[in-house]
Amino acid sequence: MKKVLIILAVFHFACTEQDEVFQEDFFQCENTLSPNNIEHEKVEPVSEIMKDMVSKGVPGIMMSVHTEGDGYYSTSYGKSDLANQIDMQACNLTRVGSTVKTFTAVTILKLQEEGKLRLDDLLTQYLPDYLLDNIENAEETSLRQLLNHSSGIYNYIQDLKFQTASLNDLIKVWRPEELLDYARNRGAYFKPGTDSRYSNTNYILLGMVIESLEGKPFYEVFKDKIFIPLQLEMTQFAASDPVPDDIIRGYIDLYSKLELTNATYYSGWDYFSADGGLISNAHDLNIFLTNLFQGNLLSDASLKEMMDWQSPNEQDSEEFVTHYGLGIFLIETDSGPAYLHSGDAIGYFASMVYFPNQKTTITWAVNANYGKIDDITQKKGAMEKIFKSVLGN
Amino acid sequence: MKKTSRHWISVVAFCIIVINHLWAQQPVTLSLFNESTTIPYTTFLNDPMHPGVQIGTEFDWKENRFFRLYPSVSFGYMYHKKLFQGLYSNLELGCDYKTFFGLNFKIKIGLGYLHTFSTQQEFQFDEGSYKSKRDLGNSRLMPSITTGLGFRLYPKKISSPEIYVLYQSWVEFPYSPGFIPLMSHTNLHIGIKFFPFNKKKKP
Repeated sequence: MKKVLIILAVFHFACTEQDEVFQEDFFQCENTLSPNNIEHEKVEPVSEIMKDMVSKGVPGIMMSVHTEGDGYYSTSYGKSDLANQIDMQACNLTRVGSTVKTFTAVTILKLQEEGKLRLDDLLTQYLPDYLLDNIENAEETSLRQLLNHSSGIYNYIQDLKFQTASLNDLIKVWRPEELLDYARNRGAYFKPGTDSRYSNTNYILLGMVIESLEGKPFYEVFKDKIFIPLQLEMTQFAASDPVPDDIIRGYIDLYSKLELTNATYYSGWDYFSADGGLISNAHDLNIFLTNLFQGNLLSDASLKEMMDWQSPNEQDSEEFVTHYGLGIFLIETDSGPAYLHSGDAIGYFASMVYFPNQKTTITWAVNANYGKIDDITQKKGAMEKIFKSVLGN
Repeated sequence: MKKTSRHWISVVAFCIIVINHLWAQQPVTLSLFNESTTIPYTTFLNDPMHPGVQIGTEFDWKENRFFRLYPSVSFGYMYHKKLFQGLYSNLELGCDYKTFFGLNFKIKIGLGYLHTFSTQQEFQFDEGSYKSKRDLGNSRLMPSITTGLGFRLYPKKISSPEIYVLYQSWVEFPYSPGFIPLMSHTNLHIGIKFFPFNKKKKP
């Protein structure tokens, strides 16, 4: 019996993958984080909230704050790699998931400014019929309705067949067309323009619109119009290098027990679509959002269109009261109104928030999600705690 | 030898003879299968392969010319790359519809216990930090419904070997409390039922 147990234990161990071994300098980043004011007024509250989150089970966090008076302050706490116990740095690379939707929306608005499209044009003007076949509402929806999630088009991520298929092959790299297939032959949520409901499918289609207009991958357009002008040194899109060597390790709490496993190589569904797939960090996200709301990226008219808020017919009682703009949300917090977009990738979460009354931007990114981790990093209570701590009200 | 000892030897010998006689009629079912996380009957053979092996036996209960009702018990192991490996035991009630030329249409309902282990290194939160620790695994229920086809090589023989294909749909419960309540799986089996212990028994 003892021999059998030993054999089983050896077999079990042999079938368990151990994390890669790295030296500390593997994640070393030379980015200047310029500008970064280490004497910022928010140094202490930012440090406290990060320590609090790590003490509750977040492996590592990077956070960045921008205020009118003190400018940018970016820092980090916790671990970027649990197997090798390597400290997180503010300049590290991480996945920021759906925050890319704001980049997609800004790019579409810039194309409108250049006279290449109009937001009220129908999607069918830009994409061939075969791509839209059997996607209900796709033929009647406008670009604006895609941007503010009022198209009613089915969200492919909600499809159980997609969810189980992605779990069945965690390292599969999905093409946008394959993802669209999960939205085909599914009923739309409502007629276009009659309600608002978040759908990743909208942004896959918008990425395709950008490509059809510019004749190159949408992420190359992001680079030309946003990354380079804003000098976002640590921002790139997954398609060009899906898992950069020095990206921090991402973890999932799949069974809600604060027992994490490495998911760094699992995010293949959004490597090529404009609804996710952005690789960046909290510092670069802060530069992007601050410049957006300071009016340095878009014209006043475009920014006004972006913030033409639509309210869904029903609000989720467990979430912030939310209104939909173009690639951005208005949420009602205890600290006042805030413009927000967040994003999950498997093993990662990031959020970027701008408070117009305080003229303050807060961004953070963590290297874990799902299960109990989400309660600490992205649920309403967790966000309110971050806002109160950093804004001090 | 004392009288009581002889008595116990007789009892044990009798039990061995009875068990041996019963066991001699027991079939062994052995299958290899591919496990997938999927919605039942939306997919058949999925890629990549997640291999598994199952061994079990069936017991006679009720049988007539066309139908056979039988309980069965099985034990198995499966390996889902990047996600989990699991050991399970399963009790099932099966029903075969028999045809005269040896084809059996099969349906089974079952309930099993599954113990899963992560196939990745696991880090547990303990006293304010994460540490790599031994994975003690997770306990799961695995209710299942199985349909399939079997073909008995010698239809007229009671102890004919049978080759079968089974499509087993099962649910892993609980999965991730508060996040994903349950997970749907299918196992596509190809296997054989045979009678290794009664070679001398006449059909």
